[in-house]
Amino acid sequence: MTPVALDTTDAIEIKLLLEAINQRYGYDFHGYSMASLKRRLAQAQAHFQCASLSLLQHRVLRQPAILPQLLSFLTVQVSDLFRDPLYFRALRERVVPHLQTYPSLKVWVAGCATGEELYSLAILFREEGLEKRTLFYGTDISPEALEKAKAGVYSLDRMALFTENHHRSGGKIPLSDYYTAAYGAAVFNKSLRAQAVFSDHSLVSDSVFAEVHLVSCRNVLIYFNNALQDRAVGLFKDSLVRKGFLGLGSKETLRFSGHAGAFKEFVPSERIYQRKSEL
Amino acid sequence: MTRFEQKPTPALYAAIAASAVTVFVADLLTPVGLALWIFYLVPVALALFLWRPGIPLVLGALITVLMLMGFLFSPQRGNWHMAVFNRAFGLLTLWGVAAIAHLFIRNKLIVRKEHWVQSGQTRLSEVLRGDQPMDQLGENVLRFLAGYLDAHAGAFFFADADGFRRFASYAVPAHSDVPERIRPGEGLVGQAVKDGRAFVLRDVPEGYFSIGSALGQYRPRHLLVTPVTADRMVNGVLELALVHPVYGSDIDLLDHVAESIGIAIRSATDRTRLQELFDETQRQAQELQTQSEELRISNEELAEQSRVLKESQTRLELQQAQLQQTNQQLSEQARRLEEQNEDLTRAKAELEHKTRELEQTSRYKSDFLANMSHELRTPLNSSLILAKLLAENRPGNLTPEQIQYAQTIESAGNDLLTLITDILDLSKIEAGRMEVKAQAVPLARLLENLGRTFQPLAADKALQFRTQIAPGTPETLETDPQKLEQVLKNILSNAIKFTEQGEVVLEVSRAAGERVEFSVRDTGIGVPAHQHDVIFEPFRQADGTTNRKYGGTGLGLSISRELVQLLGGSIELVSEEGHGSTFTISVPRVYDSGRDSREPTVPMPVLPEARPPARGQPQASPLPAQAAASAPLRDDRLCLTGGRRVALVIEDDASFARILYDLAHELGFQCLVAATAEEGLVLAWQHSPSAVLLDVGLPDNSGLAVLDQLKRDARTRHIPVHVISASEHSQAALAMGAVGCMLKPVQRAQLVEAFKRLETRLTQRVRRVLVVEDDPVQLDSLRRLLGSREVETLGAQSAAECLETLKAATVDCMVLDLNLPDASGFSLLETLSHENGDPFPPVIIYTGRDLSGDEEQRLRRYSKSIIIKGAKSPERLLDEVTLFLHQVVAELPPVQQRLLEKSRSRDAVLEGRQILVVEDDVRNVFALTSVLEPRGATVAIARNGREALAALERSAQPPARPVDLVLMDIMMPEMDGFTAMREIRRRPEWRKLPMIALTAKAMSSDQQECLAAGANDYLAKPLDIEKLLSLIRVWMPQ
Repeated sequence: MTPVALDTTDAIEIKLLLEAINQRYGYDFHGYSMASLKRRLAQAQAHFQCASLSLLQHRVLRQPAILPQLLSFLTVQVSDLFRDPLYFRALRERVVPHLQTYPSLKVWVAGCATGEELYSLAILFREEGLEKRTLFYGTDISPEALEKAKAGVYSLDRMALFTENHHRSGGKIPLSDYYTAAYGAAVFNKSLRAQAVFSDHSLVSDSVFAEVHLVSCRNVLIYFNNALQDRAVGLFKDSLVRKGFLGLGSKETLRFSGHAGAFKEFVPSERIYQRKSEL
Repeated sequence: MTRFEQKPTPALYAAIAASAVTVFVADLLTPVGLALWIFYLVPVALALFLWRPGIPLVLGALITVLMLMGFLFSPQRGNWHMAVFNRAFGLLTLWGVAAIAHLFIRNKLIVRKEHWVQSGQTRLSEVLRGDQPMDQLGENVLRFLAGYLDAHAGAFFFADADGFRRFASYAVPAHSDVPERIRPGEGLVGQAVKDGRAFVLRDVPEGYFSIGSALGQYRPRHLLVTPVTADRMVNGVLELALVHPVYGSDIDLLDHVAESIGIAIRSATDRTRLQELFDETQRQAQELQTQSEELRISNEELAEQSRVLKESQTRLELQQAQLQQTNQQLSEQARRLEEQNEDLTRAKAELEHKTRELEQTSRYKSDFLANMSHELRTPLNSSLILAKLLAENRPGNLTPEQIQYAQTIESAGNDLLTLITDILDLSKIEAGRMEVKAQAVPLARLLENLGRTFQPLAADKALQFRTQIAPGTPETLETDPQKLEQVLKNILSNAIKFTEQGEVVLEVSRAAGERVEFSVRDTGIGVPAHQHDVIFEPFRQADGTTNRKYGGTGLGLSISRELVQLLGGSIELVSEEGHGSTFTISVPRVYDSGRDSREPTVPMPVLPEARPPARGQPQASPLPAQAAASAPLRDDRLCLTGGRRVALVIEDDASFARILYDLAHELGFQCLVAATAEEGLVLAWQHSPSAVLLDVGLPDNSGLAVLDQLKRDARTRHIPVHVISASEHSQAALAMGAVGCMLKPVQRAQLVEAFKRLETRLTQRVRRVLVVEDDPVQLDSLRRLLGSREVETLGAQSAAECLETLKAATVDCMVLDLNLPDASGFSLLETLSHENGDPFPPVIIYTGRDLSGDEEQRLRRYSKSIIIKGAKSPERLLDEVTLFLHQVVAELPPVQQRLLEKSRSRDAVLEGRQILVVEDDVRNVFALTSVLEPRGATVAIARNGREALAALERSAQPPARPVDLVLMDIMMPEMDGFTAMREIRRRPEWRKLPMIALTAKAMSSDQQECLAAGANDYLAKPLDIEKLLSLIRVWMPQ
């Protein structure tokens, strides 16, 4: 479908709203792709029952309490455990042998949303015997999502899919060993997040915080425009150790990025890249 | 009257009347008692066929009267009582029949009405049937109802989005002001809608509404307004204008049909809506189709593009493969070239060596000849004198034959003497011992002298001898007359000697460039072309046989050439065999004593022509007394470019420095020149040259001291230094790390050699890797893995062996297994780090054991790279080692840089201070430690908030040093920086402890949060060292 041309009023309203959020709270959405922003703002507008985005802007400015909710609308938080099982299989079979040569490891899940990705990696690392020496960083801009990620509670009806994904990713132990189900929900074992740090971090404005060996940032860049994508990939590049790994979503690629030269394709089909060593 | 009563048949009425009258008459005529009244039932029965329910009752009453009259007026007979009873019974029967008739007719009417309504409904439903658009539906309904109810006009309103719109009208005149739309509650119609019930308006007032035909107008009498509903929702309203009064049946009918009309309207509406939706769907489907088509096209385009991309990628890959191939070939060729180069260099060196030997020999020869001729001349002299004495025969006791002998001895002796003199001259010249004594030489007198000498000789051989001076020739020369004369004499005597007939001409003329040419032309045997060069060589003549015929030593021309060159001139020969020869001697008009045109056979380290010192920098020389010696040469320091290597020359002798400067340029180096030790060190630190040429005898300090300092400084220790000294220092210099040593005086070739050696050192350094591994098999395999043409591997199987190896050899990189038989890797590293001043090479830990966080932390102090053995570890090891070996040597591992920094950049504010760094990122810990420790601070490390609190607790105990300042990261495991800072501030004794938060976040709110949590200040990552230091200085308690 060709995107519907933005009505100028809409465009102005979106711009003003984003500017308001940026100035008031410091969340910068200017680099996000317009088409998806428009869809998500329409949802938010309906949710907050505002007749127009200008009214929504008014509310956001006056009622800081609704910001977290609005943020969870603006950031896409749909993920599954072991989403794209082949990606995780590739990590398991191709990347882990390299990671095993480091005495301690750091993994950064950029844009971790509600934590599915991070738990998947934690489970995978436990199964591969790396968990004890690994520290996971899960970062997102939405405090609400981070709270959910910290809780690690998912609805029980998603477990069937999770279990199948886990199995297809090469999981060795039944997924049920990692969670306790009750009252229609499943809570993942606390031990999985013992090695995890959840933190508020924006790929738009913040900088590198640690040297890491693996960055998993899946289906985040698609919501960014090119300049912002470049910035984010630059952060990953600066964070990664020489020969460190970067995993992207199935529709994302570094091919057109300004930093493409700093990486080589490691598992091209699963969008796993390796940072080149500076020789 | 209702519309269900049929027109009464007059005959029926007549029959009723007739039968009643007949019965009455008959009753009057017959006496009472006869039950004639029974026939009164006939009219009543007849009334059953009538349509009015009242008639039987009226008839009953009438007949009652008639019966009473008949009773009263009939002739009385029989039993009266009986008659009364009879008549009463008759009356009862009559009323019963009348009542039955009445009920019958009523029922008949009701049935008819029902039928009417039902047929109306049926017909209406027929009208409603089918898919009709709204307005047509309205028209049809209205038309039908108007006809069925006999209405004269009507209008039909349907509900739409807002209110009700007139969809159809019946017989409404065009000019009437019937509204197009109405709202609920508006007027009667609106009220009907609102209330959902019908209204009947009887006896419409005058002027209310008129219906017209072509011929006239009339007004309806009654109005009927009724809403239509669907599911009890009013969705239309109907107004009919009637001329006849409104019957209940009308309302009944409308009540009945309202629902079905409503439903029909609704379904029509729905249908319309459906149709619209359907149309919309169609339109969208079409649009979708278009878009999917577009999509398909763009998809195809994309596919095409990706195909093209793939193709070009394939092509690129191919090209890359080819390139790689070419590259390989090229590097192979380069390697070969290099080898050839090496061979060449070697051959050249050999050649130079030989040349040197030759030169040496030739010098020995010259010396020897000079000495020898002297030694020869002394005895020869005496024998000549004695021979002459003998030949004089003063005592007169010799026979003429004996006198002849003595004369022969004398003549032979003279010949020998000439020969010796010639040899002596030649060797003198070759030994550079011939001096030129220039003076004014009048040309005319010179020629006169020559003429006087050669005229008789020529005359002896019947040859003509002429001298002539070309016009414009200067009259005098400024040169050494003896030498010039010797040359001319030699050539002239040769000319006369080799000329049998004809003439010998000496001509003097002026030549270009302030020179004078002497040409000696003869008509003798000439010299074959291939011998032109040979005849100037010593001891050679044009023909080996010539000697015998003409005599002579064959040295004459050689000497002549040497002499002419000594005078700054040249000698040339133009000749053809059998056609005479012309020797042309060209000398400068004024002998220039300042230059020696001859190529010195042995280059001396002193330039004959010293260039004036560079101007403009007189203040650069610290001591005026030394100005001449140390005045800086013009060098490249102002125009250094990054691309070329830089050589630093530390040499106080300006002329020699100049030679080195030129030579450096010739060999592709940029060159810096320093005249003093101090300047040299400064330049070395400032410019980090690629190579240093160092003189030992410097005005301010010994070159060896400079060498020592260069080698002690981590910034310069990698620079190869070549020492040049006038006295023997080579052993000391080499021991101190010089690449090579030369003794003055130095030959050019040696210098070139030295530069070459420096260059080789720069480009082709063999790197050394020490592998420390206790398992011999593993050790061997690692050495195989890492060794290559450029990489030499050393092995050590124990800590002791490792220490020994490190002492004995310089190692670029060390691979260390932590498990060793005699000591653990940890203690080995600690031992290495404690050996002060002797920085050890970068270490790569290669271990099979899993390391705890603490162990890793400990190792990180010594090693940047830790590899756990595993499937991919050899790959990574190779990678890391390659990386270490390729990094610029100046980029020393931080441990060494730290050592270096320690010596020069201690900071008073930080000296002796204890700083707690709370940070979990190894990279940052490393950076912070290497910035802070060299400045005199002690750094304690905590990896998270919890550890930070524990570290603070510990430091508060008396033996430990209290922490002066905390650098706090925010994002950390277990306890983050915010919490940690709040916890710290909660303790009263730490209220004042300065804390600087290090945050990766850019938002001002985060920074506010840092301050709120108790930080005194914050610094954004990535850390700016200068800023960090100034912040620390600000907050460090005094």
